[in-house]
Amino acid sequence: MRYSRLKITALATFCVLSGVSRGAIAIGNSNVQIGGFFSQGYLYSNNNNLPTQDVGGTWDFREAAFNVTDTIGAHLRVGGQVFEQRFGNIGGDKMILDWAIADYNFASWFGIRAGRVKYPKGLYGEALDLDVVRPFVLLPEAVYSPILRDFTASFDGGMVYGSVNALKGSFDYKIFAGNIPINPEKGVADFYNDGGGLFAGNGATALKMDSVKGAQLVYNTPVSGLKIVGSYSYFTNLQASGPFSGYPPVALETNLPKFSWLTYSAEYSVGDWVFAAEWQRTGGDLFLAAAPIGFAASEFIGWDGWYVAASRRIGEKFQVGAYYGDNQVRTGYRSSNPGDYQHDSALSLRYDLNDHVIFKIEGHYFNGTYETFNTVRISNPNPKPNTTVFAVKTTISF
Amino acid sequence: MNTNHLRRFGALAVLFSAVSIAGAAPAIIANKSIEKEKIDASSLKAVLLGKKVAWDTGGRAILAVLKSGPVADEFLKGAVDMSSSSFNNYWRRLAMTGGGSAPHVFEKDEELRKYVADTPGAIGFVDSANVDASVAVITLAP
Repeated sequence: MRYSRLKITALATFCVLSGVSRGAIAIGNSNVQIGGFFSQGYLYSNNNNLPTQDVGGTWDFREAAFNVTDTIGAHLRVGGQVFEQRFGNIGGDKMILDWAIADYNFASWFGIRAGRVKYPKGLYGEALDLDVVRPFVLLPEAVYSPILRDFTASFDGGMVYGSVNALKGSFDYKIFAGNIPINPEKGVADFYNDGGGLFAGNGATALKMDSVKGAQLVYNTPVSGLKIVGSYSYFTNLQASGPFSGYPPVALETNLPKFSWLTYSAEYSVGDWVFAAEWQRTGGDLFLAAAPIGFAASEFIGWDGWYVAASRRIGEKFQVGAYYGDNQVRTGYRSSNPGDYQHDSALSLRYDLNDHVIFKIEGHYFNGTYETFNTVRISNPNPKPNTTVFAVKTTISF
Repeated sequence: MNTNHLRRFGALAVLFSAVSIAGAAPAIIANKSIEKEKIDASSLKAVLLGKKVAWDTGGRAILAVLKSGPVADEFLKGAVDMSSSSFNNYWRRLAMTGGGSAPHVFEKDEELRKYVADTPGAIGFVDSANVDASVAVITLAP
């Protein structure tokens, strides 16, 4: 484990010594604020390596982030966050720039944000790593694949946003465009490398994309605690290349001219309860070509995922939560092949030691093997139809 | 904003004005630099949620909040329809994802009041019993 006991102790001490916060600490009387978190977990699965390499248990399940924000004048805010992750064989504890923005808020109804911007998708797309705001260790995979975390967390580009009062509530909008830097080290590569059907050897050797564009609309309804969210985005020319599995001496080029994500979400907070439900449809036509041997083909790829979740706070210290998720390949019919679906039942318990330290424990029962990858990084040569996953995680935040 | 919200804000405005009432009645206080700012329930909510970051009369809106307690609970329920816990999560999420600068959080009324008195553009809330002349008391515009 790369994190030394000293590092963790220092962070914990800093959190204890620092003042109370709502996600950030002000530095003296300046406008500068700092924040961050460190989490360490343990994942165990009994049958398949799901969602990552964890059969028999692994401690390779941690994240850390540190951010700084400053305000300049009345309207301008700048800031950034570095992030590192080890999720099985993904992430490798490499420090990456998670977000870095300049934000000019002209008025509540209109602002501009540019730089590396968090990617709005569904209820939690911008907050994938924030353990402190939810009871669950793993977000429902049917909508938030942890393998795609490093691909769908943020983009380089710009966003306009704002909030307007209407229909006895308010609407928060975000419209954005940019691109996502990708490479074969990222988790998204496992989608291409799964089963070795496309690329030989270690899989795709190059990944790139032209753009991501999208919008999100949040309706904060007049019903207390109820919000409804619609998110749509699409990638253009998402391309991968590498040695063709059918004839490794030549390269295979693949292209998704357009791959779209449509997500409808609702969240209802009432008393100590939070209820959430989301439905997501993805899809696009994948074109394949190995020009030297005259090979060309295309196929539609995509999936429909949804989940329902409920959680309840019990006193100041505890929160319990449960969800059921369903993810299906878009075959056009309800497939009975376990490789075409994944049903995920989860039960979680969270304990808040104080404002800065939380503990979570969670159990999953997965039925079906969709998104149970078989790649160099996540090996499942003979996946079993059912898997039980057990997760514990502690997070220190400031 | 529905009728219930209007009613709740109306009740809050009366409470905020009646600073002599003893008990845990929240009062909105602000730095005297913004005492001429017209603040209604909608703009207060926008400030509390980080959607409005600058005052119409100029300068950045700087938010100061009590960490917890009955005054915080009552104020946040009335102003943004959130519990302290929900408000905490809301801001943690914004601050950690580049969506806003987090409010300055205080344990005690006296600390918050002093911060607001000393910080141009600052707005916050305390128990009405702990208001003094160092800050402006804000009555929500209709």
